[in-house]
Amino acid sequence: MKTTPNRTPATANGEPRARKDDLIVKEMPDEVLVYDLVRDKAHCLNRTAALVWNYCDGRTGAAAMTGRLERELNVPVDERVVWLALNQLSKNYLLEEQIVPPPLMAGINRRQMMRALGVAAVVAVPVVTSIVAPTPAQAQSCRGPGVPCNNDNQCCSLNCLGIGTNRVCA
Amino acid sequence: MQKVDRLDWAAGFSLKSYGVRIGIRSNNPAYLARVHEHLPHNWEKMSSPIVDRLYSIVIGGEGARPNIRRFNLLYGNHVRLARSIELDEVFNTLESDLRLFVAELARGRVFVHAGVVGWEGRAVVVPGRSYTGKSTLVAELVRAGATYYSDEYAVFDSRGRVHPFPGPLQIRQEGGFKQTKIDVAQLGGRPGSKPLPVGLVLVTQFKKGARWRPRNLSSGAGALELLSNTVSARRSPASALDAFDNAVVGAQIVKGARGEAQEIVPFILERISKNR
Repeated sequence: MKTTPNRTPATANGEPRARKDDLIVKEMPDEVLVYDLVRDKAHCLNRTAALVWNYCDGRTGAAAMTGRLERELNVPVDERVVWLALNQLSKNYLLEEQIVPPPLMAGINRRQMMRALGVAAVVAVPVVTSIVAPTPAQAQSCRGPGVPCNNDNQCCSLNCLGIGTNRVCA
Repeated sequence: MQKVDRLDWAAGFSLKSYGVRIGIRSNNPAYLARVHEHLPHNWEKMSSPIVDRLYSIVIGGEGARPNIRRFNLLYGNHVRLARSIELDEVFNTLESDLRLFVAELARGRVFVHAGVVGWEGRAVVVPGRSYTGKSTLVAELVRAGATYYSDEYAVFDSRGRVHPFPGPLQIRQEGGFKQTKIDVAQLGGRPGSKPLPVGLVLVTQFKKGARWRPRNLSSGAGALELLSNTVSARRSPASALDAFDNAVVGAQIVKGARGEAQEIVPFILERISKNR
């Protein structure tokens, strides 16, 4: 049976640890694909997000990660970039513990971050793209509204309405 | 014993498609041959009666009294899938349910809801949900000389190559929901036979009046787009990711809303040719 990992909030100073259980990880040349078996969600981590996730060993803090990231990407990196990555990883349940961002990160999203850091930082902005994996019925040809149907799975709306033989997709 | 098993079954056969075992039985053997028209193209008969799913077709027809007609019924295992006076409705439901079942459980293949054509030895894959205009675009590409692979499923192997899943194109009239089946030969095209590596993944949707301004996506984003249309995404995500990892290497991934299909056909074919 699938269970939700137990997540306890960590402080802004905590050293994050990457989640390992119930994940399928596929490394691509510049990205990492992650499939979450618990939530049936798939994520694509760009290089920066993947590097930060890789640094999350439970011993490395955000400041140390920033230094490692600078050396790896060979560009100056603001610590807020690391926090933005951690925040996205945390929101997508890819860390063992929930991250509480420091006050300097409160309410900042990726777009605002890019504006604040300028063009030079754009190369390093972490991005986690996510989708919910479809059910078989969602990934098949379906019938539109008003088309006769026999069961819910035949309809794009997954809703076959009516009584007896006069059933149509909602 | 379930109620459906107590009925009087006159004939039946079992078959295998993509490693999935299917049984089909009917109370009227005369209609069993008609089932063949609705099976996936590469099925083969098998002698074993042990199957993964059993379809039961009850042909209704004339009732005991005049002016009374009995319903035609279709069961998948013990669940009723269709009940209709129209026999076509029952067979169409059989076809779509059987294809979906095979697509979900296929061994060694990953089925993605997509249209596919071949051009200069590369596959153009157009993943997308129903009513996004996949079949219309596939038909236009075929008219322009592309080889027809499928307008319903892109069938990937573990190496990321796309196999043909031919069948008649199902085109909807503009603004309508009713589909018309068209043979690829009627469009002047021909079906493909060999597996192809992917040249282009085109994530697009018809939007009336839209100007074609595509943007390039990364390989990872392309793999996500394929996964979001994969029938077995939840059942076997590891196989799907393996296949897509190989498929998107060297492929271009393009996304954007499109207007009329014929407007973007030259772009697609040129993009593939340039990338060879």
